[in-house]
Amino acid sequence: MAVDSPPRNALAGWRQVPVQELVLPVVIVALLVAGAIIKPDVFPTSDNLLNVLTQASITGIIAIGMTFVIATGGIDLSVGSVLAAASIAGGLVFENGTWIFILAAVGFAVLLGAINGLAITWGRVVPFIATLAMLTIARGLALWMSDKTPISLTELSILQRVGSGRVLGVPVPALVFLAVTVAGWVLLNRTTFGRHTIAVGGNRSAARIAGIRSNRVIFAVYVLTGLCVGISATLLSGRLASASPVVGNLVELDAIAAVVIGGTALAGGKATVTGTFFGVITFALIFNLLNLLNMPAEIQGIVKGVLILAAVALQRRD
Amino acid sequence: MRLPRRLVVMVALAALTLTACTNEVSDGGGEGATGGTSAPQAEGVTGRPVKVGFSAPGADHGWLKAITDNARKSADELGVDLILSEGTNDTAGQVSQVETLISQKPDVLVILPQEGGALTPIALKAMQAGIPVVNVDREFSTPAAYRTLIGGDNYGIGEAAANFIANELNCQGNVVEIQGVAGISVTEQRSKGFTDGIKRCNGGIKIVASQPADFLPDKGLQVMETMLQGHQDIDAVYTHDDDMAMGAVQAIRNANRQDEMFVTGAGGSKDAMNLIAEGDLYRATFLYNPSMSASAVSLAKLIAERKGLSELVEPEVPSRVELPATTVTKDNVASVQNLGY
Repeated sequence: MAVDSPPRNALAGWRQVPVQELVLPVVIVALLVAGAIIKPDVFPTSDNLLNVLTQASITGIIAIGMTFVIATGGIDLSVGSVLAAASIAGGLVFENGTWIFILAAVGFAVLLGAINGLAITWGRVVPFIATLAMLTIARGLALWMSDKTPISLTELSILQRVGSGRVLGVPVPALVFLAVTVAGWVLLNRTTFGRHTIAVGGNRSAARIAGIRSNRVIFAVYVLTGLCVGISATLLSGRLASASPVVGNLVELDAIAAVVIGGTALAGGKATVTGTFFGVITFALIFNLLNLLNMPAEIQGIVKGVLILAAVALQRRD
Repeated sequence: MRLPRRLVVMVALAALTLTACTNEVSDGGGEGATGGTSAPQAEGVTGRPVKVGFSAPGADHGWLKAITDNARKSADELGVDLILSEGTNDTAGQVSQVETLISQKPDVLVILPQEGGALTPIALKAMQAGIPVVNVDREFSTPAAYRTLIGGDNYGIGEAAANFIANELNCQGNVVEIQGVAGISVTEQRSKGFTDGIKRCNGGIKIVASQPADFLPDKGLQVMETMLQGHQDIDAVYTHDDDMAMGAVQAIRNANRQDEMFVTGAGGSKDAMNLIAEGDLYRATFLYNPSMSASAVSLAKLIAERKGLSELVEPEVPSRVELPATTVTKDNVASVQNLGY
């Protein structure tokens, strides 16, 4: 620590990566190998693996936004309900075509995210409570706006192509997920906003002394998560060819679990988008594999829980 | 702070009075309109309109919403004074709701319990206090807790689906099952009825995969997607619920495998019936009809009036009414489409 030269610095940065982020790649490789052995005819096919990536995309895109929220030491429990509310907001104006649908869905999710952000910064409500309130508000809105009835979107052929079409053989939701992951990585690691996000989560008073406007950063991460939820809502509605007020149940917990096993600290101040990506993929692989093996739901629950414990415990070793 | 709060209360009171007025007006109108054909304003033994208390879980999805809507509509048509408490998905909450209903001294209570067992004591209390209880759908743990039970036939849904699929496939083929919420009696009975039902094929019909998707369309989509990956040869998809089946249908269409298999649902939603009328992919559903709450209100009225079902010889309402899991296919969908929810 005493001798601090630039190469040393780069090395120190590199040294942190394997410890934090190699646990999950190992788990993922192990799952891939296990799958290839147990279900050689089905599991290792490109079709199935693309299917895993597609299924991961809805929760995955949300989890990327959640990474920023958790990096500030916050939490967003409302994402699953907002996902439903955004789908319905789009569904209410679907007659005007796919682009208006997307505008309404994304716009509504961003609006609800902004309300979360305002409640937390301006209203000084702790994130857990503010977003818990939004969880029930958004679900209520989704049910009320839709009169508790799903809205069929079979007329929106472009939206369905967005949800279930392929570009160069890769499903569109998977492509969007990859793009959001890359954008999230750049935003966190290569921009001032990313640095400020980590700084606010690490030590708020130090961040203030350093001249960072914490409230602006915090407001922005909830808006960003809203944006991610809006994108997910668009993809999900396209895949389902309908907007349903009951979708997104417990998505918030899946997203938080993926972020946490990825290595982002719940207390804030430390975040990794790559880790979140691996976390999401891990859960999707487990769901896929256990489902292919026709394992009962209770076993899936146990495996998921054990994995969360093991991954987080292993990462605490450093 | 004090003034606005008072204002809110006043506005709320004004709104209440207004609703009460409109109700009276529409009741009166109904009387005039239907006139001689049937007495729209039901009269209990006391000579005033029959008062029915109604409690059901929160109407957060299609089927339960239809349950509440149908009860309300039926009460309007029959001229029954329905006290409807807004649903909650919390068992303890429903118990206190029923307590509140009892304190309003209804002639009859209609209860669709969140959990049959947990609502049994309060239903017993009502019965002992002389308020007959009509139990809808989920059964109380003792018959002493209800005057009449009206419900669908979950085991029958599985059985009817097995029959339908066995016939369509000539007892030969692969079936995947998409279940409701794991570990609840509805799911278990719908599953058991199906497994028992396909036994007559002596193993000709195989359930190659069986996974829960919690009655939710997005989970139905995911589960079906993975099943499509895992099984190259699927002949039929047996789902426990119409809403959830919509997700499965979309997964099959997205994978472009709609020619290989067909789907059956359960419940009788409007969307499902429309697809059945279109033909091909969605081939059948089995009624578990939310119209049962409308019938429950009718039964409640008859009980209050000490009448029986007019077509039966017996002068009182039967103690159990089980509705058949009618198979709805392209052939008969037109005749039941009006029941769709």
